[in-house]
Amino acid sequence: MIDFHTHPVQVADLFDDDPTLTRAVQDVFGLWMSPQPLRTYELHIEEAGADKAVAVPLDCTTAHGMTVVSNAQIARLMELTDKAIGFASVDPRDPGAPQRLEHAVSEYGLKGLKLDPALQQFDVADPDTAFPVYQAAQELGIPLLIDCGLSWAPKGRAELARPLALEPAIHAFPELQIVISHFAWPWIEEAVALAVKHRNVHLETSILYSGTPPESLRHALDRVGLDLLDRSLHAQVVFGSDYPRVDPKRVADGVRRLGLRPALERKIFNDNAARLLRLEVAVA
Amino acid sequence: MRSQVIRFGVQTTGDTQVIDITERVKEMVRESGAQNGQALVMTLHTTTAITVNEGLPDLEDDIVELLEELAPAERNYRHARFLHSDGQMAVNAPSHLRGALLGFQCLFPIADGELVMGGRQTIYFVELDGPLYREAIVQVMAA
Repeated sequence: MIDFHTHPVQVADLFDDDPTLTRAVQDVFGLWMSPQPLRTYELHIEEAGADKAVAVPLDCTTAHGMTVVSNAQIARLMELTDKAIGFASVDPRDPGAPQRLEHAVSEYGLKGLKLDPALQQFDVADPDTAFPVYQAAQELGIPLLIDCGLSWAPKGRAELARPLALEPAIHAFPELQIVISHFAWPWIEEAVALAVKHRNVHLETSILYSGTPPESLRHALDRVGLDLLDRSLHAQVVFGSDYPRVDPKRVADGVRRLGLRPALERKIFNDNAARLLRLEVAVA
Repeated sequence: MRSQVIRFGVQTTGDTQVIDITERVKEMVRESGAQNGQALVMTLHTTTAITVNEGLPDLEDDIVELLEELAPAERNYRHARFLHSDGQMAVNAPSHLRGALLGFQCLFPIADGELVMGGRQTIYFVELDGPLYREAIVQVMAA
């Protein structure tokens, strides 16, 4: 089982050599919780029933002058724990972003790309800034995890994260595997419409706005009909928690309480993510 | 009266755990050098608890089961929302309420440098929203 969306912004080991990380995590990401030992991060993954988790950085250099965990720190995290599957992040408003992405993949062995248009403040349909980054990701054969919908980050601008705005990129890069986080709540219908039509569009389960994860998942997915997941999206939904916005155990519990068929649940918890990450042997 | 506050950590490994900390507390009291006084054991968190009971696994399981019945996971709690001051979803009302039911501290006398405890009494640190690295204190107050 794989958690496709975690932010290692509480891992104390990453703060030791970076005095600016506390400010980035608080002022940009918007988390005011004390760091925890690396072991707690691992245990959160295990408590959810997962074996591995995608760990994401965020390059907000142009928008906010800092990174919320850097690619190098994600590489270090991967050295510290075999539970982390590291993704890279680049700033699309940096003209050198495609080259930085190639470097992160070749130098650090990072397995995917994370973008957050609300927080990085870029236009997802801009052919001059965003498209070269998508092009690089497509050529590298790595998936893109992109935050859509409500951004809990204090400086996040949700208007930049409407899923329908991705359609030009989906058309331009049909081989790029795109994972839309949070089911893009509150624009779930837009995200689902994209995924129903485009088989390279995937949806991630951290629907967080109010109520417990079992409640918010049920309430949100009832809007589009749970049967849609089984019939049309069974290969395009992945489990993600958005830790530490909420504990992975609670999002996993929310998915389990949906009462899905066991085969579909297995795809959401494991198989779909394993395929996107090109894991040779699917995690149990 | 002299006061020493000794902090100690507990790395919990699961959602709910009843952890025997009796020997750790006794050792901290011995190391404090206090001969006669009191020792306060207190957790620094609101989703953990400190309690005293007989050190038996079946009772530990019964405590957990009763807490889960009294503050069930599924209920229309108000504390199920985004907590702006933390930047996290605050969806752990059952953990808070279970902690409130058990309490957050216990107090034992110290005599001749040792904690005065009943033969069956065990001091427990109770995790109610783990896994997390937690902190607790022993305050030794002695003449």
